[in-house]
Amino acid sequence: MKNLDSVLAAYLAGWAIFFVYYISVAQRMSTLREEIERLKAQLTKGK
Amino acid sequence: MLKSALKATILFALIAVTAYLAFYYAPIEKSMGVIQKIFYLHISCAFSAFVAFGTCFYANLRYVFTRAPKSDWLAVSAAEVGLAFISVVLITGPIWAHPVWGIWWTWDARLTLTFVLGLLYVSYLLLRSMIEEPDKRALFSALFGIFAFLDVPLVYFSIRWWRTQHPQPVILGGPGSGLEPRMRVSYLLMWGALTGLLILLLSARYKLEALRASVDDLRREAEVR
Amino acid sequence: MALLADATTLLGKELRTEFRSRELLTTTVVFILVVVVLFSFTFDPSTSESRRFGPGLLWLSFLFAASLMLQPCFLREQNNDTLSALRLSVRDPFSIFLAKLSANTLFLLLTEVLMLPIFAILYNVHILSVFPQLVLVLFLGSLGVAIPGTAFSAISAQARMRELMLPLLLLPLLTPVLIASTEATGALLEVNPALRADWLGFLLGFDLVFLTALWLFGEYLLEE
Repeated sequence: MKNLDSVLAAYLAGWAIFFVYYISVAQRMSTLREEIERLKAQLTKGK
Repeated sequence: MLKSALKATILFALIAVTAYLAFYYAPIEKSMGVIQKIFYLHISCAFSAFVAFGTCFYANLRYVFTRAPKSDWLAVSAAEVGLAFISVVLITGPIWAHPVWGIWWTWDARLTLTFVLGLLYVSYLLLRSMIEEPDKRALFSALFGIFAFLDVPLVYFSIRWWRTQHPQPVILGGPGSGLEPRMRVSYLLMWGALTGLLILLLSARYKLEALRASVDDLRREAEVR
Repeated sequence: MALLADATTLLGKELRTEFRSRELLTTTVVFILVVVVLFSFTFDPSTSESRRFGPGLLWLSFLFAASLMLQPCFLREQNNDTLSALRLSVRDPFSIFLAKLSANTLFLLLTEVLMLPIFAILYNVHILSVFPQLVLVLFLGSLGVAIPGTAFSAISAQARMRELMLPLLLLPLLTPVLIASTEATGALLEVNPALRADWLGFLLGFDLVFLTALWLFGEYLLEE
């Protein structure tokens, strides 16, 4: 089983990239949700 | 929330199954050995990346003619997701090439095209971050995206005439390029799984962009008061 | 025909503005000269070596120079607030692009032709016998640089960090022009010079593709 470590490395790197990207999207999304809550609170307070 | 978590779980299960198939079900290729298994991921990712960039081009064109903000959201999502896929292609490629060709990188047509394509879309995203006003950002980045996509076949042919070393396509290649049936099953499943991943990432990124637009709206409203 | 008439008038305006000060032309010539001289320190500029690397570095310096030279093309209009007036004064907005890209091609070609003899002397290559063919390659290549360059100059004028954005947008897109022009120039500088019709045809194709795109989408580039 020559080169098996290369294959594993390639698959790991691939999944890692997708995973990190998905996490980053989710994180940005939650920051924006907080921002929306904050802005909405601000707007209702101003009324 | 639950629905998206469910979708993600199904997709990851699918990916796990395909990885299992690629490793244990598909036979080991005769001339290349076990290293050929990288292809399942590599080729499917390349396909998804091109689909993503094609989607970006379509959204760019649509934006220029309809000026619907939704097209712009789709365009930026597709460009970013395409870049994620293309970086996987660019990383798995050299890992395959090193044991087989003895070098990490060579300036062959398809490799260089992939690299230049990645660079063009990095420029696209950079350009977006450099224009503040949403309408202007959408329009000018869409126009750049159209020009960039038109460049793709030109880059490909110019480098192809210049030099080429990439292995010929085995899936859609000419006669004699047939695939072992178990390999075909693995390819098809991996391709399906990555297309699913493409759709998942695309819709997540699209929702993010929609949220961003509503934050901008709220901000403007807050400023008016 | 209105298109051509408007374009000619505007081209006259571009040329008059430039030749009054000649700022763009002088700085570009000096810039290319500096790059060409600096390149000579990175390899042995003997005859055989410069035949191998010469055309590439010549075109690379042209591309870098062009990405700086195209900068003020639309920025000037924006700074002086003349873009909307310009748009109102023509019947077809494409004539603005036609005028600007012809002016840019002309400026580029002029600096390149000025640089050729200096390059030939410094790098020990013979250009006299193939001069007309070289000018043809230079023309098609410069046109290929100027068409997307003019379009992107309108785009980068809208962005922050525009001095960096234009090269960043333009240079990766110009990969095909760089390859085709370098190959065509290289073939002309060989011991047995040859005019590579295939690469010239490719350059022509590149020019036509982007000219058509500019014709189709040019009017949107002028929106403010």
